Amino acid sequence: MTYAFDFASLLEYRDILLAGTLRTLALTAIGTFFGLALGVLGAASRAWQLAPWNRVFAVYVELIRNTPFLVQLFFIFFGLPSLGVSINEWQASILAMVINLGAYSTEIIRAGIEATPRGQIEAAESLAMTRRQIFLRVVLAPALRKVWPAICSQVVIVMLGSSVCSQIAAEELTFAANFIQSRNFRAFETYFVVTGMYFLLALAIRQLMLRAGDRLIGGRRT
Amino acid sequence: MNDISTWDVVRNLLDGVLWTLGLSLTAFVLGGLTGLALLFARIASTAWLRKLAKAYIEVFQGTPLLMQLFIIFFGSSLIGLELSPWLAAALGLTLFTSAYLGEIWRGCVESVPKGQWEASASLALSHFEQMRYVILPQALKIAIAPTVGFSVQVVKGTAVTSIIGFVELTKTGSMLANATYQPFLVFGLVALGYFALCYPLSVFSRRLERSAHGTRAH
Amino acid sequence: MALVRIDGLHKHFGSNHVLKGINLKVERGEVVALIGRSGSGKSTLLRSINGLERFEDGLIEVDGERLHAGQTNLRDLRQKVGMVFQQFNLFPHLSAGQNVMLAPEVVKKLPKAECESIARAMLAKVGLAEKFDAYPDQLSGGQQQRVAIARALAMQPQVLLCDEITSALDPELVSEVLAVVKTLAAEGMTLVMVTHEMRFAREVGDTLVFMHEGRIHESGAPDTLFTRPRTPELANFIGSIH
Repeated sequence: MTYAFDFASLLEYRDILLAGTLRTLALTAIGTFFGLALGVLGAASRAWQLAPWNRVFAVYVELIRNTPFLVQLFFIFFGLPSLGVSINEWQASILAMVINLGAYSTEIIRAGIEATPRGQIEAAESLAMTRRQIFLRVVLAPALRKVWPAICSQVVIVMLGSSVCSQIAAEELTFAANFIQSRNFRAFETYFVVTGMYFLLALAIRQLMLRAGDRLIGGRRT
Repeated sequence: MNDISTWDVVRNLLDGVLWTLGLSLTAFVLGGLTGLALLFARIASTAWLRKLAKAYIEVFQGTPLLMQLFIIFFGSSLIGLELSPWLAAALGLTLFTSAYLGEIWRGCVESVPKGQWEASASLALSHFEQMRYVILPQALKIAIAPTVGFSVQVVKGTAVTSIIGFVELTKTGSMLANATYQPFLVFGLVALGYFALCYPLSVFSRRLERSAHGTRAH
Repeated sequence: MALVRIDGLHKHFGSNHVLKGINLKVERGEVVALIGRSGSGKSTLLRSINGLERFEDGLIEVDGERLHAGQTNLRDLRQKVGMVFQQFNLFPHLSAGQNVMLAPEVVKKLPKAECESIARAMLAKVGLAEKFDAYPDQLSGGQQQRVAIARALAMQPQVLLCDEITSALDPELVSEVLAVVKTLAAEGMTLVMVTHEMRFAREVGDTLVFMHEGRIHESGAPDTLFTRPRTPELANFIGSIH
């Protein structure tokens, strides 16, 4: 039995693939922005033991890191409406990604904060800076810089994980692949090409984020 | 349809937990063996072997697990193999696990100080003997905590196999949620099931990590 | 015939020419001390002798065992050349005794009982007979370095290379290690050492080799070199360390 590969048949679906790619990117961008913001808040309250938030974040981090993203997504998309909260597939996807990345980045950023040399904080304290000033001006940037590569890896993981958002009919890249293969009956070719697209997206996002990190986070690389 | 009792739900979910556990163990053991082969390829003296292993790892770490499963599921039928969802899931997760474990273990081998390689080389040990007697015993100690830590990712990864039709915990949950119209309860219980599997592993991994820092290396 | 013969050795690190044609002969039983500023190439030269550094041109011969540029099979050579490192590099997962036993057992394939008696003898030689079962992190730096010497001696090398073996030690631990080296020298062991302990080099060394910018700048009897340096570079170097 010989199978004739037909990748050309995918060409007519390039608009759908492009739209899917853009939506995956948009999901990732929004998820990253709010997820990292949540992570900074969580890391600060964990590292500085701000009651009761340190406890709240500790429980949140454990709950999220020990359950699958897909289940979190289903819980939000199918579970919340049964409590009377109406939520569409995009809102659910973004919420799940933010919550997921927030938990992981809390732990990553916390490790960076806790690696701050004691002397740095003592020096800032001796200059009569407040706790808040010390965190924002002295601790945060070097901590982020230190763990930025780990954050980049986590964002890539979240982007790749977003492919399961197709399961709640969010029309992102995997949804596009499912749609196309149901039309052209070329499942292997379609998934193969889309997998390649994810691979390139992962490379691009990592590079972009590493560069952005160099630009946006002040100070020199140590 | 609505006469399914909570007890029925729990009993079915527990069945799902067993399938999740079985798949996790299979993928972890087979993935560990494959990962070991990858590790040796990754640090081999042959350049093309190193490159091949690196490419393998990058592809599996750089693409969605769901896509890997789709390709295995649909690709196998192209070569005339009709894989059951169980086999496709086990194969996919094994490959996925091996890529991560291979890379984690390579990091452990590389964290053994260079002086250990030099000292054993100066004693005329061959590359294999260096690995066997000096490097791997030390790397193994470093590797235990992150390996246990990664097992959590394997358990969570099994959820994705529900999408290719393997009936484990998540798939069971989806079916029950449809049948009972109680998605909040059902998915809450599903999450609880994963948590019960993963949390002890997370705690264990953290404890190992802490004791590895606190005590000496033998 | 010289035990160690080095002919026209050239070595680059990238564009940095670190060894620029080294010729050196070491006789059996001779103690050679390599001195010079950091970056002069003395450590690189020492590490080349047992193949830890590759070189691009030249030849090294130890007791009839030849090492050419780019050669990768080093097992026979390394059985004749022992090495002691600045950072000891003991295997942390093995006890002192197991550290010493490993190579005789694995490389020479000697029976285990024989390896153990060798290890006990070697540890006794460096004054650590009672530390056979101690692990490296239970030993002081000086003790660790003495175990490292015993580990190298257990292979019965023809020549022992010592790479700044006291530089990582607390000052009060230096003398116990030097005492061991002194005993070895007195017993007729061939030694090539890179050292910053000038008084020791002068006392124990038969030959002093002063390296400067990748070349052997001056060499000869220690007293002659110290009292009547012929080149301004050596005079300068001696002046800077006193």
